Amino acid sequence: MSRRQLLAGTAALGSVFAAAGLTGCGGTASAAAVRDIAFWHLLSGGDGIKMQAMISAANGANLGFQVHPTVLAWGPPYYTKLAMASAGGRPPELAIMHASRVPGYAPGGLIDPWDMSLLAEHGVTAESFAPRIWDKSQHDGQVFSIALDSHPFVMFYNTEVAGKAGVLAANGQLQEVSSPQDFLAMAREMQKVTQAHGLSFGYLGSGSQMWRLFYTLYKQHGADMELTPGQPMKADRDAAVESLEFMASLLDDTVAAKSGDIGTGIAEFARGGSGMLFSGVWELPTFKKAELPVDAATIPTLYGTPASYADSHSFVLPRQLNVDDGKRRDVYKFVSDILKGSLSWAEAGHIPAYQPIVQSQAYRDLTPQIHYANAADIITYDPESWFSGSGSDWQTYFAENVQNVLLGRDKAADGWDAFVRRTNTLLSRPNPV
Amino acid sequence: MSSLATSESAEQAPSLPGQFRSNPSRKRPSGPGRSNASQSSPRRTRDNLNGWGFAAPFLAFFLVFLVWPLLYGLYMSLTGKSLTGANDSLIGLANYAEALADADMWHSLGNTLYFTVISTVPLVLVALVMAALVNVGLPAQWLWRLSYFAPYLLASTVVSLFFSWMYNPQLGLINDSLAKIGLPKVAWLNDPNVAMWAIVIATLWWTVGFNFLLYLAAMQNIPAQHYEAASLDGAGAWRQFFSITLPQLTPTTVMIVLLQILASLKIFDQVYQMTAGGPAGSTRPVVQYIFETGFTGYRLGYSAAISYIFFGLIVTVSVMQFFITRRRSA
Repeated sequence: MSRRQLLAGTAALGSVFAAAGLTGCGGTASAAAVRDIAFWHLLSGGDGIKMQAMISAANGANLGFQVHPTVLAWGPPYYTKLAMASAGGRPPELAIMHASRVPGYAPGGLIDPWDMSLLAEHGVTAESFAPRIWDKSQHDGQVFSIALDSHPFVMFYNTEVAGKAGVLAANGQLQEVSSPQDFLAMAREMQKVTQAHGLSFGYLGSGSQMWRLFYTLYKQHGADMELTPGQPMKADRDAAVESLEFMASLLDDTVAAKSGDIGTGIAEFARGGSGMLFSGVWELPTFKKAELPVDAATIPTLYGTPASYADSHSFVLPRQLNVDDGKRRDVYKFVSDILKGSLSWAEAGHIPAYQPIVQSQAYRDLTPQIHYANAADIITYDPESWFSGSGSDWQTYFAENVQNVLLGRDKAADGWDAFVRRTNTLLSRPNPV
Repeated sequence: MSSLATSESAEQAPSLPGQFRSNPSRKRPSGPGRSNASQSSPRRTRDNLNGWGFAAPFLAFFLVFLVWPLLYGLYMSLTGKSLTGANDSLIGLANYAEALADADMWHSLGNTLYFTVISTVPLVLVALVMAALVNVGLPAQWLWRLSYFAPYLLASTVVSLFFSWMYNPQLGLINDSLAKIGLPKVAWLNDPNVAMWAIVIATLWWTVGFNFLLYLAAMQNIPAQHYEAASLDGAGAWRQFFSITLPQLTPTTVMIVLLQILASLKIFDQVYQMTAGGPAGSTRPVVQYIFETGFTGYRLGYSAAISYIFFGLIVTVSVMQFFITRRRSA
């Protein structure tokens, strides 16, 4: 008897019992068999609305279960609650995590590995994912997360401003630049058009924003970064310092505002106060709504190696005290339904992880999404450790040491060295997972 | 407050001690014979039971939510317990040793103490000035009282958002105003030298109303005869303030300072929401460090140890304050 038959059998048995139990109450058997699936996620903006629509569609298409989402605030609140619920034995049946945070959860047994054979029943296999995204879903040889998307850090640009500045190529997209100097020159041309700034980059007080751009530039050097508990951090100091110096050179109040936070950066770009914006793909709906002539591309390769910081919203299975087989089966079905319906997720700006969607004509017709779809081949996730990843304290520590560099108060080398020291302290401490 | 009331206002004084003295005589039988005692004993038991019954809800909460966590936290600080449930073996005082050598702990503790010092002084002085102004007898007193106290009713999230916008370096009201009068812009929440003061200003606006109310209540309790007598003797308004009002307020001041120090030591909400401890860790209070090590850094045992070090500090401050207060009232 195969696992599949066993599961099918228990499910059938379960519904028989449920039906039998209800005969006296006059209820219908189908209503009794509906299983409630708790699902936690951290998508609260425009993507939250998209996610709710996808959940409703999946619920409507499956009479056997109802998925009930709980939305929690992004960052530490979400990850703290998820870890505590799992450790305390009362987690949801399904949750979304950033793929970069999985190394902090998998080793401690807070999440269970996925059974790919069960997912294959719904037509989802390793081949359904782009290689970089698929690699990231593994931990110690097991699949711990199923990616819904990848959401890289990209460059939005205003085609009207770029056109007036004469920096558009014949195909209507931004000219390619391949060195820091060329990029600065292009930004200055745009500044002449807007009379405000060439580029918007909100970073003040936001470790994640600083980190996203820094890590993109750092990885463009072809450099690596390794975090191994018990050992000092391995990183390319020259590449790091050069990246930081370039970032600081952008923030000169001509190319980009020296003191801008995320909100001001996005607002500036959305009202045409600049020609370009470095930000995450999830901002796309904002600009579409503002009816801005917006296009997008991956951040130009300035140091030789194409690279783009990204993370993935991924499905994980928080560890249950007692696994309810029926619910687990439903979870697999639900996840495969969401993956197959992720074209609407692409409308929110994200690059779907599920390849049949990416290869569909409907996705190819989405602009500007298709102009940065190549990011999936060059994306790079945070270096793995229990303390790194999206919304982690580590990104806050990065900001603490680097913000003064970007404000022109500290030397890049000093800021970087201080961050390395902070990281080494973390690496020298006992590993709690 | 009561100590001064008894010593100064002689008419009221005798009634209070008299009441208290009558209590013990009723409770402990000094004269009555055996028969009387045996008669009252079941009633006393019933009284006792009733007493415990009334106290039970509080006691239950006290034991479950204070005593038990206190003991469990102490135990946890001696283990390597992690939020993920891994490694909860006893490791003795290793966490305390690590904490005492942890520069980040000392830095955040220093930030907390710095905030406490630079916030307590204005929070007490400004409250005093505000109370004095209102007590002078301005017209529309209710309006002053309301406007001084109203911010205290807001949630910390509201206050933090409100001030974050005002402090915004590009679009904020404050920098805009500074620019209009020709002053340079200030990176309120992004300059390590300024950020803590920016938080103190927000905290002052938010919470000074509570101290103001305490001061105002105390001022209105000062008998008017004192001022009448003083003005007959030719004392001016300032003289009256420094020689009557301030000394009469001493017990209130002691209490406000104590409450304020304890409140300021617990600083967390505004900082977490306005700067998240930045820039460069210059505003991270120790409570945030405890939160980070325990909840986002998973190291519950270690964070419990830091909590206990901080707890020790708060107990020390409270005990010192207790002795100072006692000496004053003695």
